[in-house]
Amino acid sequence: MFGTSTIQERRRYYREEWSEKDLPDFISNGITKREFGFDHLGHGPNDRYKVFKGTDTLKRFLRYKAPFAAYISVAFYANPHKRGGWEKAEYVFDIDAKDLPIRSCNCDGVCEICLGEALERVNAILDDLKGDLGLKDIHIIYSGRGFHIRILDPIMMEANSELRGEVLKYVAGAEVPKAQYPNIVPGGKPYNFEHFSIPIAYPAIFTEKVKYNILHLRGDEELDGINNRLLKDLVKYKNYLYEDDWGSFKKNIGPRRYKDMVNAMARVNLATIDAKVTIDLKRILRLPSSLHSKVSMKCVEVKNPETFDPFKYAVPKFVYERKDENIAEN
Amino acid sequence: MAFEVVIRSKNMVLVSYLNPLSEEGRGIVRTLGGLEEISLDNDDLMNIVIHTNRQTISNQDVVPETIVDLAINRIKWYIERKNNKEFNPNDYSYFFNEALAEYDTIAFHILAQAIANKFRPGSREVKLFVESQGLMIEDRLTKLPLSDRKELVEEILSDLLIQDGIKWSFLKDLIATKKLSLTDLVLENGEIVLDREEFVNTFDDKFSDRSPERVYDILIGDNLRELILTKLLMQNTENYIKSIQDQLSMVEMHPAIVELGEMLDETITETLARYSTFYASGGTYGNMEIGKLIKEAFPPCIANTVEGVSSGGRNDAIVLLLTSFVSYARLYPGIFASDRTVKVSDIDTNLNITLNEILPLIYEAADNCNPPLFEDQPQEKINIISKLGFGMHDEVNLENEGETKWYTPMSCEKIKMHLPQLCRENKDCAKINNPLSYYSRKKWIIAKNGELSSKKASSEDSAD
Repeated sequence: MFGTSTIQERRRYYREEWSEKDLPDFISNGITKREFGFDHLGHGPNDRYKVFKGTDTLKRFLRYKAPFAAYISVAFYANPHKRGGWEKAEYVFDIDAKDLPIRSCNCDGVCEICLGEALERVNAILDDLKGDLGLKDIHIIYSGRGFHIRILDPIMMEANSELRGEVLKYVAGAEVPKAQYPNIVPGGKPYNFEHFSIPIAYPAIFTEKVKYNILHLRGDEELDGINNRLLKDLVKYKNYLYEDDWGSFKKNIGPRRYKDMVNAMARVNLATIDAKVTIDLKRILRLPSSLHSKVSMKCVEVKNPETFDPFKYAVPKFVYERKDENIAEN
Repeated sequence: MAFEVVIRSKNMVLVSYLNPLSEEGRGIVRTLGGLEEISLDNDDLMNIVIHTNRQTISNQDVVPETIVDLAINRIKWYIERKNNKEFNPNDYSYFFNEALAEYDTIAFHILAQAIANKFRPGSREVKLFVESQGLMIEDRLTKLPLSDRKELVEEILSDLLIQDGIKWSFLKDLIATKKLSLTDLVLENGEIVLDREEFVNTFDDKFSDRSPERVYDILIGDNLRELILTKLLMQNTENYIKSIQDQLSMVEMHPAIVELGEMLDETITETLARYSTFYASGGTYGNMEIGKLIKEAFPPCIANTVEGVSSGGRNDAIVLLLTSFVSYARLYPGIFASDRTVKVSDIDTNLNITLNEILPLIYEAADNCNPPLFEDQPQEKINIISKLGFGMHDEVNLENEGETKWYTPMSCEKIKMHLPQLCRENKDCAKINNPLSYYSRKKWIIAKNGELSSKKASSEDSAD
């Protein structure tokens, strides 16, 4: 996006722009229970197991080291220095714009379009997390190249990987909804329903995500289980979905290929979220307020996910000055 | 013994007919004089059995004479019902005779104790018992008259769920263990919608072409309530076994229960063996023999790993997935059906196989990675050794064995989440939940179809 930050720019950022007030409360509170990790050279976070007594000591460290990247654990430990005594961990969804299997732009890395689409997907997930699952204490973080949904609801904080995985499958739409419902009357025939004919509960979540995927297809994607011809037809007939005319859409695709498509879309839905982050109980994530030096963007908490614009809220000052210099030079 | 005083609920059918762990069920167990009684001929029990509608009485094997027989037959019923294509429901009609509820409750409790005492937590036998209880509840529900069925479900559910608005998180153990899927529930603000009126009020505006009442009947109605009830009772059964096992070190089990455990061990092994095909005797993957690695039988995820993985998933693919897969596939493919705690050296006594076959394959795959794994992360060699159970050392050495755990391969579901780039399902992946199961099955198919070269086939059974 804005290219890699130099060490001078990192120093300027942490000395002149960064403030401990930029740390969200959910990070500042309980900071002593978390593990920190740093990447000083841009080779990955290899300075691990750091612990800070408070935001002051963190501030001194950041000003002095001006790290390439800073991370904080999702987990709370009795002894974070040794990652010992795991107590609980945030529940996290990592949606990286560059890794979206379906995105309408064709950029190499990340651009305004795919970041916008990543945020749309974040908003859809938020609706399900709050509306269906009733989860609270949810924070959205712009990570520099995508978004983290960080959930501190006590229900999920103590959940094991298995429960995290099951909730993920629900929220991501990673399972094809069942198409047959039993009939309690002895000898009665089961009822058959396609996912799109049930406008509530999980089938509705799945349908919305499939619709979103199809409407954002470019036609040149490589999707497991969808061959070129099917892909072209999905694009050709997608207009039916603007009106939610799933019947005509399915009819044109054909029942067998429709089934293939639905199975493939469940996989796409899962691949939209970095699942290994979600089920990990000890992950470290980019520290909100820190600098993503690779793209020269700030990792910031998103106050309003409906209107958030990273180019308005997450660009460090030195980038504007860098631009000015470029403009002046030109 | 005969039950003269029974604690009948408002229903004609006892709650313990479905939920032997209810207060009522525990009360019934307390009426049992002593555990000696369970092995004595019981005329009252036999009387109920032979007077059950359509009960086969010509086959002595299926007619219980004692409560111990009844308990063993509960397990036999399950295995037969699940596996026998010619299963005759009349052989076990008495299990669906509500008059048997008291005896059946006692049979359930002694079974739970015997299984908890004899088998380890999470074993095949514990799972089998929990599943048998689930299927028993399901079958009993379908055989009850509709009005009794609704009333009984309502009564038990209100006992189990306590509050009116049930949060999905109340069922989180069921969800985490996949006994119940979140996707089967209708959720609103964190609560499970089970009530018809609430459903209609909440979702009325969502339906334009059909009545919400009708949709409620199909999506939720009695089906979902019964599903939740069944799964909760299965979970409670599992918890009951666990609680007994937790107390085993403090309590000495009655000899009658110990003996029942021995009998169950024999019955389960014998009955399962009758229905195993490629799984061989001993149940699912029970006696899979060790043999040379057949790469043609590798599942796609493993084949992809062997070919090399690009940076990002290299470490987990080689250290966690491939190391555990290759070692178990080569040495002990039947691990998931086994009760034993095994070490590599139990099978590979001088570590020849590990050194000459297993590690070279893992190292080759590591070298195929882009960039080669050990080039920038040589410490991963130590991690590989540790996942084989030989501690954090840079060489496999018998004296270090047991310092770490011999890791089992992760499930397909975990692979999909951790290493999605490696999972390229093919038709043989259907109904498989672990790459090791895929391997065992595929190996069997290849051998059956004679696709293996005679050289490979002959070396198959030779243990090194």
